Amino acid sequence: MWSRVYTWLDERLDLRGLYRNTLDRPEPRGSWWNTLGSATLFLFIVQVLTGIFLATYYTPSPDHAYDSITYIMTDVRFGWLIRGIHHWAATLMVLLVFVHMVRVFVTASFKYPRELTWLVGIGLLLLTFAAGFTGYLLPWTQRSYWATTVGTQIAGTVPFIGPFILKVLRGGTDLSALTLQRFFSAHIWMLPALIAGLIVIHLYLIIKQGESYWPRKED
Amino acid sequence: MNDALKKKLAERYQRELDRGERFWPDSLYKDVLVSLGLFLLLVLLATFIGVPVEPKADPSDTTYVPRPEWYFLFLFKFLALYGTIPVVGQIEWIATMVIPGAIILALMLTPFIDNSPNRYYSKRVLPLSLIALLVVQSITLTLIGDTPTVSEDGSHTIGVIQTVGNLLIPLLGLIVLFLLAYAFKVRRTRVMIWTTGLTAVLMVAFTGVALGLAPAPETSETEVATTLTDQIAAGQDLYSIDCVECHGEDGKVTTITGVEGLEGKQISAIDGHDVLYTLDDPSLAEVMAYGRPDAGMPPFGKAYNPEGLTMSEIGYIVTFMRYTWDDRFEAPPVKPLFPALAEGEVPSYDVHIQPIVKRYCISCHRPGKSNNNYLMTTYDEILTTGDNKDKDVIAGDPNSYLLQVIQGHEIMDPNDPSKVLIRTMPPNSTLKPDVVDVFVRWVEAGMPETAEEAAKLSTTTTTGGASTTTAVTSAP
Repeated sequence: MWSRVYTWLDERLDLRGLYRNTLDRPEPRGSWWNTLGSATLFLFIVQVLTGIFLATYYTPSPDHAYDSITYIMTDVRFGWLIRGIHHWAATLMVLLVFVHMVRVFVTASFKYPRELTWLVGIGLLLLTFAAGFTGYLLPWTQRSYWATTVGTQIAGTVPFIGPFILKVLRGGTDLSALTLQRFFSAHIWMLPALIAGLIVIHLYLIIKQGESYWPRKED
Repeated sequence: MNDALKKKLAERYQRELDRGERFWPDSLYKDVLVSLGLFLLLVLLATFIGVPVEPKADPSDTTYVPRPEWYFLFLFKFLALYGTIPVVGQIEWIATMVIPGAIILALMLTPFIDNSPNRYYSKRVLPLSLIALLVVQSITLTLIGDTPTVSEDGSHTIGVIQTVGNLLIPLLGLIVLFLLAYAFKVRRTRVMIWTTGLTAVLMVAFTGVALGLAPAPETSETEVATTLTDQIAAGQDLYSIDCVECHGEDGKVTTITGVEGLEGKQISAIDGHDVLYTLDDPSLAEVMAYGRPDAGMPPFGKAYNPEGLTMSEIGYIVTFMRYTWDDRFEAPPVKPLFPALAEGEVPSYDVHIQPIVKRYCISCHRPGKSNNNYLMTTYDEILTTGDNKDKDVIAGDPNSYLLQVIQGHEIMDPNDPSKVLIRTMPPNSTLKPDVVDVFVRWVEAGMPETAEEAAKLSTTTTTGGASTTTAVTSAP
């Protein structure tokens, strides 16, 4: 019976083609260092899932943000676990994306024809930092508030357009409810959308061109 | 890159594929294993370390020292060190925009800068040296991210060490590497490796010295109350210290007594409907923060009084008032102030007297208030301070002034019997009998400080809080 279900789906989705193109691929011999990229992707998926659950309880307003997180930590079943995972996965993701970048640099895998993959990867690195920065304001603790004040202040030191950038980031001249609101919007919509889009391009390129190989003396 | 080279590379890749593996299952199983391992790690971290609880944001508290999340510490520190450079250090945007921008641009354009077909490590000594220094630099800057550049005695040595180790040495290393790569071409590989190694070692050494010289970080522990019961308890403590002298410990005071400058002032009782029904939580908080200048209430919020309370703390007091005095709210069960005394048990300062004094007395009996110089914030102060210190607390004497005033007897001036020396305490209310009993037993037993000392003096073998004891001596 299951083979009939499979055939019905295969006729419409071309599962066999999907398997052939994505999974049943030859690739050069790899080591455990090659798992760093997929590990980063896994952490991103963990962040999206835990983030979605957090967003069902979190309120992005200065009056309620802190209390809503206290509620998540104390009164929501496994809320402490979801929030804890989200907090630690952020740290691990930044760490892994950096180590992954260093590994690719060391093995010179960014060279022809994989220059675009590298470029997209640097974009992902910067977006990951941005996600960390925006996410950090959301609990609205002393540390969040003042770290964001300093961070946006630094952004404002750019000559000419600095004050404009500062006002765009803060939603005004000072940190306020507007800042929290737009950081929240950036953190749950804008940045994940951009990251997901870049990941799709990154994966497409990797599958299309094939994974690179570890350089030998002849290279 | 010409077509012949591209063809060669394509053939090279095909050779690697031929002696390679398959994505499924050879590579994918490793990915899945690592993902599972990471998930387990995340659960362990979330369970055993968790997320540190921090106090709520307080925009009016400008004394707070901000720190970014750890992965921005390297940038934070770089800006701080750059600022110590004379002259150039004043131009902020070089450090915030130009240098980081240049590094990001260099990273982005790596495939176009390092565009030779060489991939093997020995043919890429310069790029590998550069990335090694970048990694070491990121790590050392992050490690000293929190270290101050000026030590407590005002010396800048520690800052100089950090600047030399993390700006000067890497810069010198970089210059030497580029000179070796492009100026001197003889046997450069080994020299470059040595240069990189030496630079890295020096950076780590200087960072280590800076960390060793760093003063121990000042960890100020802020109590953060999370559950409702904790918030009410925190509010109760703050109320006892800051509010009781004018409002009384039950909020019922309508005429202020004993407060300098406000003697005889008429105020509304803050435990009644007039205040609690007409003011919502934000309004109550605002009254506390801003004060009521016409009514004589000083500001307590940090925005108006630099030594005042944070908005979190004001929030706890509001919660305490709301749940204790507003009859529309049911208070959660609160643990008793002190463990009830058993028959023959002697109370101790640590377990019984200290929480009572904190709740009912310290509001006035602390430095700076009108209290006949009698302070009660520590054990020694209760026994040894005050204008009448000889007679306040005498071991075994039920006529000690302390015991008399809490049982409703004023102390008259021995030189002028019509003048009151000490009023009844607390001035605006009466302590309950079980609280008075604690003081009486304590003084009569000789004012033991610790629970162990009190247990030795107790005549009971079962305890209501003190450690179990087998000693049976009758109280003196």
